[in-house]
Amino acid sequence: MTLLELLRLAFSRLATSRLRSALTMLGVIIGVASVVALVGIGQGTSSTITARLSGLGTNLLTVTPGATQNGNTRGAQGSATTLTLADASSIRGLANVAAVAPELSGQGLVTSGAVNTTTTILGTTSDYPAVRAYTIAAGSFLSDLDVERQLRVAVLGATTAIDLGLGSNAIGSTIQIGGLPFEVKGIFAAKGTATFQNQDDEVVIPVSVVQKYFVGTKNVRTIGVSVASQDSMDVATAEITSLLRERHALASTATNDFSIANQAQLLQTASSISATLTLLLGGIASISLIVGGIGIMNIMLVSVRERTREIGIRKAIGARRRDILAQFLVEALTLSLLGGLVGVVVGLATSAALSQLGGLAIVLNPVTLGVAVGFSALIGVLFGVWPARQAAVLDPIAALRYE
Amino acid sequence: MTTSIVSLRRVTRLYRTRDIEVPALVDASLEVAAGEFVAIVGPSGSGKTTLMNVVGCLDRPTSGTCAIDGTDVATLDDDGLARLRSHTIGFVFQSFNLLPRTTALENVATPLLYQGVGRRDRRARAARVLDRLGLSDRIHHEPPELSGGQQQRVAIARALVTEPALILADEPTGNLDSHTGADMLALLRELNREGVTIVMITHDPLVAASASRQVHIADGRLVA
Repeated sequence: MTLLELLRLAFSRLATSRLRSALTMLGVIIGVASVVALVGIGQGTSSTITARLSGLGTNLLTVTPGATQNGNTRGAQGSATTLTLADASSIRGLANVAAVAPELSGQGLVTSGAVNTTTTILGTTSDYPAVRAYTIAAGSFLSDLDVERQLRVAVLGATTAIDLGLGSNAIGSTIQIGGLPFEVKGIFAAKGTATFQNQDDEVVIPVSVVQKYFVGTKNVRTIGVSVASQDSMDVATAEITSLLRERHALASTATNDFSIANQAQLLQTASSISATLTLLLGGIASISLIVGGIGIMNIMLVSVRERTREIGIRKAIGARRRDILAQFLVEALTLSLLGGLVGVVVGLATSAALSQLGGLAIVLNPVTLGVAVGFSALIGVLFGVWPARQAAVLDPIAALRYE
Repeated sequence: MTTSIVSLRRVTRLYRTRDIEVPALVDASLEVAAGEFVAIVGPSGSGKTTLMNVVGCLDRPTSGTCAIDGTDVATLDDDGLARLRSHTIGFVFQSFNLLPRTTALENVATPLLYQGVGRRDRRARAARVLDRLGLSDRIHHEPPELSGGQQQRVAIARALVTEPALILADEPTGNLDSHTGADMLALLRELNREGVTIVMITHDPLVAASASRQVHIADGRLVA
């Protein structure tokens, strides 16, 4: 018998007991729908995390100073004041480094006319947008000349600009930072919250200005380094380490007076957590799919019992074992595959509803849909084969006499 | 000598129930030539159903040889038996045994499905046979919508559609009233005149009288 003939038989049979077929499929529908929706949520979460982390800056290495050593007392990491602007500019000379932004920040009061807000005042250089993945919405960013000449110019984060009631027409106007007048040079585009800190709530001014007017040191707090490519992160880390050790004149036995954090490690950890989450959700959903498969097996066994006489008749008029086997197997497969397809539709609708109502980011990947449908077909074969075999091996004489 | 459609040589069929062996058929020898209409007559429990199962290739003899249309069933596996049933034998049962929730046309076409005949061809051939048996206005009816006589005609049409060498009828009038039963026997005689070989099993001597030859069976033994 051809597949078409078998499908025709299966469909006409399923059509004669619509309610039973629908209820049997319901198990698979729920299973597949939950696989689609839950894996969608898992992957959506994963891609949100990845997107937010890469918003921190691509291929980012963060160099921070080490601990102070006061006699036998070791201070906290980052408490030392060993990093300088000169360190930053020499790191910029390394081959694998694309951009370097030294940072020196503190809290301060910013005033525009009658409005004021307390925010982060961050001193840096012209590479800052490249290193930290900012884009300018209006005006322009600090230039090398601004830093060199210690000009009092400022670029506002999106949140700070809103807090101060400043829009794109504010470029060129004057604001007060820590009591000193600054010219507004640009406004950043909003970036969103990546970690625990709102990256849009800050005022960026030349690092030289911070050193001159606010802190009075020659040090910087951190140096952000954007590495040319993902592959050269380790090489760049090694190069920066040896460069800084040389510049800080450390003896070969001395420990580093700085540390280098790799953004990619954080990203990998986060994505492995969300991959585990996806796997977990998918696993839970798969269990309901298997339960659906058992439902199919149950109904197929009942069906074989009920149709014993029909099987006997079919055998008497020339059906071979494999014809009966194929008939029942295709019936089970039709139930599960149809359930799988309906389940995908229900899953898509559920995902759409969840992302609309719950604000969840959901990623629907065609591979997930394909795997869910394929898995439901596999369930159909797996749980259909035993009932079908029972039907196929029935003795025609006993089956014909069965009432 | 004419060709034998059925050739049983000293066929014995034993059934094993627990430790006791029950002989249902003992040393049965029977030749049915092409074009014959043979009635096998015997009371219930005489072994006639066992004989029918063996001749119908639903069962195998415990000993002896059974050849149907020249093929020894001992040489065939289950699929081989199924193929022999499909091409050589048409069954007519006492309780009609039509497929439930299936139209008369599809019922009659089903044996052709197992021969691998295409759907269009199947339906055309089934419609022709139903037409010949006077059921052309009933082809889209399902079994419960048909009278007993009509159901048995559909069953005969299903047996005929493959143009088998042998029609095997098991109490074909058993579930019919006497008037419809007489019609059915007339139909079988007519088919036999047209050249169809028929073996009919019955307990009723009056029914058996329709056949051109009677073979009696008692306690598993054939009496010519």
